[in-house]
Amino acid sequence: MKNESNTSLANVKRKKTAVAAGVFLLPAFLLIAIYFIYPIIDTFVISAYKWNGISSARTFVGLENWKTLIHDKNFWDAFEHNIIIMVFSIMLQIPIGMLLATFLDAGGKKFNAFKIIWFLPYLMSSVAIAFLFTYALATNGGIFSSLASIIKGTKVTIDLLGRSPHALFAVIGVMAWQYTPFYMVYFMAGYGNIDTTIYEAAIIDGATRGQYVRLIAIPLLGPIFKTACTMSLIGSLKYFDLIWNLTQGGPVNSTELMATYMYKLSFQQFNMGYGSCVAAGMFILITVIALLFQKVFVVKEDY
Amino acid sequence: MKNRILAVLSVAVLTVTTLVGCGSSASIDSAEVPATGPDESTTGKQTDGKNLPELTTEEMTITLWDIATEEPGRPTQEAAVARFMKDYPNIHVEQVHQQNDNYKQQLVVAMSSGQCPDMYVSWGGGPMAEYYKSGFADDITDLYNKYDHPDFIDAAIAQGSYKDKILGIPFGSLSGCDIFYNKTIFKDLGLEVPETIDELEDVCAKLKENGITPFALANSAKWTGSMYYMYLVARHSGNDEFDAAYTQEGSFGSEAFLFASDKIQDWVKKGYFPDGVNSLSPDDGQDKQLLYDGSCAMMLHGSWMAGSMSSDNAEWYQENIGVFRFPEDSEAKAKGVPQDVEIGTAIGNCFNFNSKGDQAKLEAMYVLATQYYNDDTYNQMQMDSFQTPSIKGFENQVTDPNMKIITDVFFQASNVQLWYDQYLPASVTEVHKNSMSALFGLEKNGAEIGADQDAAMKAAIEEQ
Repeated sequence: MKNESNTSLANVKRKKTAVAAGVFLLPAFLLIAIYFIYPIIDTFVISAYKWNGISSARTFVGLENWKTLIHDKNFWDAFEHNIIIMVFSIMLQIPIGMLLATFLDAGGKKFNAFKIIWFLPYLMSSVAIAFLFTYALATNGGIFSSLASIIKGTKVTIDLLGRSPHALFAVIGVMAWQYTPFYMVYFMAGYGNIDTTIYEAAIIDGATRGQYVRLIAIPLLGPIFKTACTMSLIGSLKYFDLIWNLTQGGPVNSTELMATYMYKLSFQQFNMGYGSCVAAGMFILITVIALLFQKVFVVKEDY
Repeated sequence: MKNRILAVLSVAVLTVTTLVGCGSSASIDSAEVPATGPDESTTGKQTDGKNLPELTTEEMTITLWDIATEEPGRPTQEAAVARFMKDYPNIHVEQVHQQNDNYKQQLVVAMSSGQCPDMYVSWGGGPMAEYYKSGFADDITDLYNKYDHPDFIDAAIAQGSYKDKILGIPFGSLSGCDIFYNKTIFKDLGLEVPETIDELEDVCAKLKENGITPFALANSAKWTGSMYYMYLVARHSGNDEFDAAYTQEGSFGSEAFLFASDKIQDWVKKGYFPDGVNSLSPDDGQDKQLLYDGSCAMMLHGSWMAGSMSSDNAEWYQENIGVFRFPEDSEAKAKGVPQDVEIGTAIGNCFNFNSKGDQAKLEAMYVLATQYYNDDTYNQMQMDSFQTPSIKGFENQVTDPNMKIITDVFFQASNVQLWYDQYLPASVTEVHKNSMSALFGLEKNGAEIGADQDAAMKAAIEEQ
């Protein structure tokens, strides 16, 4: 009898906690459900239809769109461009960001001016950056063409955005210009988190600044590297805005990414069903790659 | 001459400012003045005495989407709406100016989410057909035949129609596509305006010898390069081969298309187009800049460029810029192929209507589009900004000498071929535009882009 009342009291308490938790979690859950979960599910649903995006009539086609997607050369080309961008982004943005952060960390307050100037690109919107670089990379009057002309003494045209392999790398360069400052700040925060006593101990033990960075700071920044790489990876795979405003995927699809391809299909070619299928395909690919990356490059956090 | 233009401009500015003033006060009026009775409302309107439907006296709101975000379009169109609301105070027009770049996408999103505006601007062609098939564009043939409307030129109505149903009321202006050239350079080098494509090539060769790139082209938008392709096809075969390719009874790889591709690639190899042509952007004016700084001597472009260049620097424009129609293909002419097909659009823009079966609203929108847009005040404001309305008779009122030539060429054309990128189904447009990049970038030849476009066209036909 006593026992029973005890358990029921515990039950009541547990129930109350559950209700309270539910009430507090509900608004957040609703928001997430409406703005994240529902659209993702709906994307998958629409991908099973043939639909122009505006009419009320949708035709159910089952896995037809998915079959097309698997054999769609444009999509896999776009995916390849995404992978190239991903690899180069990680190779460029993170090491350079790291170098700049190391430099600023060593200089302390003296280098505050650099800190501000170097951070500026990240503060600009992608649209503004795209606009800026359309001019900077232009063949008539752009920075590179003008510089080359001055050096050579005759008119030289350097066409970075208008030709096939070059355009993708020009875009990678612009992306690095835009995002390196972000990783710089990220690594600066990482340096800030390393206990000063560790630095002091290393110096007392006779370590040079170089040894400290190489043997102590960088290993301690390991987890930061891992997160930075994951962010860069996901960001590169779903990239859209800068490319759209700089090249619209051109010339001849050479800078087409999965996201720009999806946008063109859905909103320019009246093919919302297949566009959704591409979006869903992107979702699956990005999730799989990000999870694989996490699995393969797990850094032990053992300090 | 200069003084006269200044005078015209200042008058235009004055009219615009006064009308903008009217615009804002009129919309306040419509909110404050209570709905007037039917007797009062029939007096003093600019539509009095015309054969038009009797409009409702009940409160009504019409949402209207346009792309008039900049002058001179915005004040011109806002004034038209203001005049309408002054005459019909019970009808409120909610005019929303959308950014052109994203307009088509915005519209698709609005339609799919049940927020389609009551009347909206379109360019006719493939997308308009799509709106109609999805039930977002009313067939207004009956209204048009029954009631008064401006005397639009036939090509304008044809362009606002789909399968013989009138869907759109034009309110833009006709846009031809001709070659602007630097008169001073031509004179200095002793060059004549070319009449045939062979002569054009001679001119190009001479320009090149003198270190001047013949054509100012910025092809990052792709429809700019398409103008050369379309004209070469049209001069070589009239409309025949394109029409056949459109139904796929013919092919985009047929003779005229190969002729056009080969010519263009030959010209690219000879350096007749600027370096980095695929990365230059017409939206940033990088093509006309090449004309301005004298590094290029000719530019095939839409007639709106006349107004655009004139507003950049009216004096320089008057002194240096002339215009001629795309030269003839003498061999094709000998075979009897018409040489007067014009590439362009007869309407610029038209309004489509989405009344969802509300006849009273449709009638109100019809009156607004035909009688307030397209009225004398509206047309005058259009003319003042170098735009020729697609209404019969206006060809005689053009004053700018270049616009005069452009308009005459347009009105004498045996047929107007709408820009491929507006005419073709949306999925084919994308392929066509990429083909233009590949063509000017020498990445694919005529047969290859022909095959690409055929494949896209076949797929589009199957879907219909």
